[in-house]
Amino acid sequence: MVSAVQAPSPRKGRAGARAAKPVVSVVADTPGQRRFKVFAVVVLSLVVAVTLYPFVNVLAQSFSDSANIAAGKVNLFPRGFNVDTYRVVMSDRDFWVGYRNTIVYTVLATAISMVLTTCFAYATSKRHLKGRKAFILFAVFTMFFNGGIIPNYVLVTSLGMRNTVWAVVLPSAISVFNVLVMKTFFEAMPEELEEAASIDGLNTYGILLRIVLPLSKAVLATMLLFYAVSHWNSWFQAFLYLDDKDMFPVTIYLRNMIAGVSSTASSGAEASDIGMISANIQSVTMVLIVLPIVCIYPFIQKYFVSGVMLGSVKQ
Amino acid sequence: MAVSTPPAKRLRSRAPLADAAAVRAPRTTWRSALRKDWRLYSLLVLPLLWFLVFKYLPMAGNVIAFRRFTPGGSVFGEEWVGLDYVQMFIDDPTFWAVFRNTLVLGGLTLLVGFPAPIIFALLLNELKARRFKRFVQTASYLPHFMSIVIVVAMIMQLVSLRGTINQVVGLFGADPVNFIQNPDWFRTIYVTSDVWQTMGWGAILYLAALTTIDDSLYEAARIDGANRWQQTWHVTLPGIAPTVVTLLILNIGSFLAVGFEKVLLLQNPLTYETGDVISTYLYRVGLQSNSFSYATAIGLFESLIGLVLVLSANAVSRRVAGSSLW
Amino acid sequence: MNRTSTSPSARTLTRRTTLAGLVALTGGALAACGGGGDDGADVSDKTTGAMKDFDAGTAFKATAPLTYTSLFSDQPTYPFKEDWLFWTALQENTDVGLDFTIVPASDYEQKRSLVVSAGDSPIIIPKTYPGQETPFVASGVVLPVSDYTDLMPHFRDQVEKWDLQSEVDTLRQKDGKYYVLPGLHEALWPDYTLIVRTDVFEKAGVPLPTSWAEVESALAAIKQANPDSIPFSDRYEGKSVLNYGAVAFGTVGGWGYGEGLQFDEDNDEFVFAAATDEYRSMVEYFAGLVSKGLMDPESFTQTDDAAQAKFTSGRSFVISGNSQDPSVYRAQMDQSIGAGNYAISKIIVPSGPAGDLIGGSRLENGIMISAKAAERDDFQALMQFIDWLFYSDEGREFAKWGVEGTTYTKDASGKRSLMPDINYTGLNPAGTKDLRIDYGFSQGNFSYGGSTELLHSMMSEEELAFQEAMTAKTPVEPLPAHPYSQVEQEQITLLAKPLQDFVDQSTLQFITGQRSLADWDAYVGELEQRGSTRYLELVNKAYAEAKA
Repeated sequence: MVSAVQAPSPRKGRAGARAAKPVVSVVADTPGQRRFKVFAVVVLSLVVAVTLYPFVNVLAQSFSDSANIAAGKVNLFPRGFNVDTYRVVMSDRDFWVGYRNTIVYTVLATAISMVLTTCFAYATSKRHLKGRKAFILFAVFTMFFNGGIIPNYVLVTSLGMRNTVWAVVLPSAISVFNVLVMKTFFEAMPEELEEAASIDGLNTYGILLRIVLPLSKAVLATMLLFYAVSHWNSWFQAFLYLDDKDMFPVTIYLRNMIAGVSSTASSGAEASDIGMISANIQSVTMVLIVLPIVCIYPFIQKYFVSGVMLGSVKQ
Repeated sequence: MAVSTPPAKRLRSRAPLADAAAVRAPRTTWRSALRKDWRLYSLLVLPLLWFLVFKYLPMAGNVIAFRRFTPGGSVFGEEWVGLDYVQMFIDDPTFWAVFRNTLVLGGLTLLVGFPAPIIFALLLNELKARRFKRFVQTASYLPHFMSIVIVVAMIMQLVSLRGTINQVVGLFGADPVNFIQNPDWFRTIYVTSDVWQTMGWGAILYLAALTTIDDSLYEAARIDGANRWQQTWHVTLPGIAPTVVTLLILNIGSFLAVGFEKVLLLQNPLTYETGDVISTYLYRVGLQSNSFSYATAIGLFESLIGLVLVLSANAVSRRVAGSSLW
Repeated sequence: MNRTSTSPSARTLTRRTTLAGLVALTGGALAACGGGGDDGADVSDKTTGAMKDFDAGTAFKATAPLTYTSLFSDQPTYPFKEDWLFWTALQENTDVGLDFTIVPASDYEQKRSLVVSAGDSPIIIPKTYPGQETPFVASGVVLPVSDYTDLMPHFRDQVEKWDLQSEVDTLRQKDGKYYVLPGLHEALWPDYTLIVRTDVFEKAGVPLPTSWAEVESALAAIKQANPDSIPFSDRYEGKSVLNYGAVAFGTVGGWGYGEGLQFDEDNDEFVFAAATDEYRSMVEYFAGLVSKGLMDPESFTQTDDAAQAKFTSGRSFVISGNSQDPSVYRAQMDQSIGAGNYAISKIIVPSGPAGDLIGGSRLENGIMISAKAAERDDFQALMQFIDWLFYSDEGREFAKWGVEGTTYTKDASGKRSLMPDINYTGLNPAGTKDLRIDYGFSQGNFSYGGSTELLHSMMSEEELAFQEAMTAKTPVEPLPAHPYSQVEQEQITLLAKPLQDFVDQSTLQFITGQRSLADWDAYVGELEQRGSTRYLELVNKAYAEAKA
């Protein structure tokens, strides 16, 4: 493997260590290692506490009444427990229409993203491919240079995609960042495997589908998560290209809701028109939107871990 | 290192340990390449088409940096004005102020925000308790799922005069600090919250990379008597080096693109001094006032810097670490 | 202009409107000052669906079924529904259907800018504030509506009846035309002011203040009675209080900052507002409040939620608000403080050194119309439809109150009341349905402006008393017209925005005490360094040209 050979291990490295501690048990932890572990657990627990607090706070707010929220009394636990706002939001047709749309867009967009990204990343991970560098540059260039909003809008309109699902799904199909990540992983795969497969008579497609992808579950799961979350949370494309309210994803619903509560209105007349949305409705909407991701995540993570097992068994 | 090819060519076409094919046939013709690898090329067709249509076509609209654009008029502007808009921002003192702010803020974010997920992933990797590990991991992603608006609202609460942080400050007998109005605190608040928000999520990549490290390498190291730190230094870090380098290069390239929405929501006129960045300035001057040509000119300048940075970072990395994006 | 490769129709369109502009400038310069329609492109054959004898007082009904496209700003408080009575009743009454592009209100301006800039906007573009149309004028994508006011008898009638011509004239662009149909108010409509805890004022033994000087002494008295409190903590990032505060000090600020200009009658020229003595005295006043601990420095940066929480939980006693806010605050305070333990009220906007003035404009947000409309066969009907819906008493009453007998009733004296089961911002607290949410009436896209009678018909007693008291004030004169050419416009924008940023920043620094007022002269110097002089040159040049 490339990385293993790159390891800079001259001079003081292993030799020095061996001299200092001649024979160490392979199985048991040394006191130093144990201390290290305790340290890790403490730090990570702190991190978890800090990361979780605001989320627990939002959750608590979503179940509290607005008087307690306004008084700033809600911290870790709900005060004035009620589920009225949940009832209001969940009985709102717009919310469910948005939810359904978001699911459809996310599934479709993620599928397209995965296919395009895998194809591009796999092909460009082959170092012998002529023009490889040019293709990568072609992609990387777009990370820094892009067209403005208006040219994009004109493009989508003239492709006849405005107010269709394609306008949401296609323009953000490939993330160059993800392509590069995936490419790096493919490059780290042992060449011999594929060589062996091609000797067995598999062509490129066969190698990709039967050998490479099954061995890349970890990276595929990661990419899947990356794409799915970004499509799930995205609202800008939909905002730009959709005209019909029945096609809006739930993120637009959330955004409009939040803007209705926090006034960044540009003038007095605007501000008087909005307002009056109960303080915890944004927490409720937040919780409902994040919920599916949080629910699905452990399953992907499980798969992700099994991908890990496979990965280490293989060599 | 045996030198069999002229040095210049070797530099260009060979990454260390590139597979033998590249060395053997540095100059295949397109015809033979296509015949040999047509299946690989076929995989490229759709993505390339996508880049062409959705990225490169709209890019032509950037010509309005040099042509006067009238909202509602031609997408490509009405008349050539040459470098007028470039001259305009070069003469604009506010532009240089926000440019400096962007550099500092982006630099700090890179300096603090880049290593954080690596350290986090390494710590996580130390844990053997599966359940706790998974819990920590899941918990650390949550901030990523929250919209910026909510995140900022939370920050505001925390740092307000009666917020949690000032309560802690009060415990030490100090006067409460009006963090959000004080330009000296803006960067700290921004960078800290950025780490908070992206650390867990950013660690995913490293965790995935960690799984590709062969266990036998650790075994070997342990037999060699390496302690935990040494194992980390000699096995783990080299194992995730390609990922680290890739991400570093990309982060360097995009470090001017500091989180627009977050800065916009966090800043207020009192913190413009340190908190106003290129994108927020563009938003106020360019988009809110429909000066698209001016905004495009500055945008192009920003892109150019990003591209130069990423190309240099890539070149440096190839020479120093032997690893690069292409 | 001829090197571009856009669609041919857009280009010819541009050329045609430029031509029309030239005609208006040379031939029709005088006519442009009149109230009638200016010379526009010939639309005499675009009569599909139009009424032959449409005049002031005529109810519009298309002679053939028509459909127009329109943008719609969708409010989260009363989200758009396709089956609102508004649409069905409108279709029934006028035979006009509307096909909407729905835009979330949070980002309405961006989307409007995008679709108009891309030359692809719907026909009707509502919720456009005067001034927001300016960037789109040069390219000719927006209809010069002043050319077609002869098709709009109600509009003309109202401008004349309410003496609005001079206000409407301020909308004119360099070519002498205007491109937005503003919402028209019969009288100035004050909305924002201070809302105070009257019980706390009483307890401290101070009367409700009528001037800013009294506000200060009242706050001081309250502070004395409640030493731990900061009595005044404001919302809207201070932009509301600086808006109506500035009027009393004879300058502009906050939401009312606008172009940052004041007009100096004596020298017949514009001056930069934020550098004047008036502005300085306003800044000094508020800086004084903050330094004496009477006003919360967080007023200018905290979120509305936070400010509101301070007020409704009894931590502060004065806050800004509009006509709808008292009922909102009360609902929250009933829970947090308890009904009967508090009393709040809007006070009359305080007067100041500049006198007892009332700011604002009788023009409100209105509509732009896509230039493409003029090519449609049903163009005349479109203008008649808009004229009826937005400018006739009947159309306005429909948009505000709905359908008589279904959503409201009218007694013999003409007093309207909502049906018992329908509520609107607390008018009918027992009502289970909401006039806006369930029927689509009284919503911001289609209902604004109008006669004082209509405006007052939906106000609570409390609000009516406020409105009544405010009529004693003298209106501020609107600024004289000073339209810019396209190139000037671009320069002005690029100068004005950074200047405004700097003014915002410095104003807050002075007020919160981060910068000493002894620095004022240095600050004025910095303004000049940032181009305030050049900015004024451009403005005054445009003004001189407009006068000539």
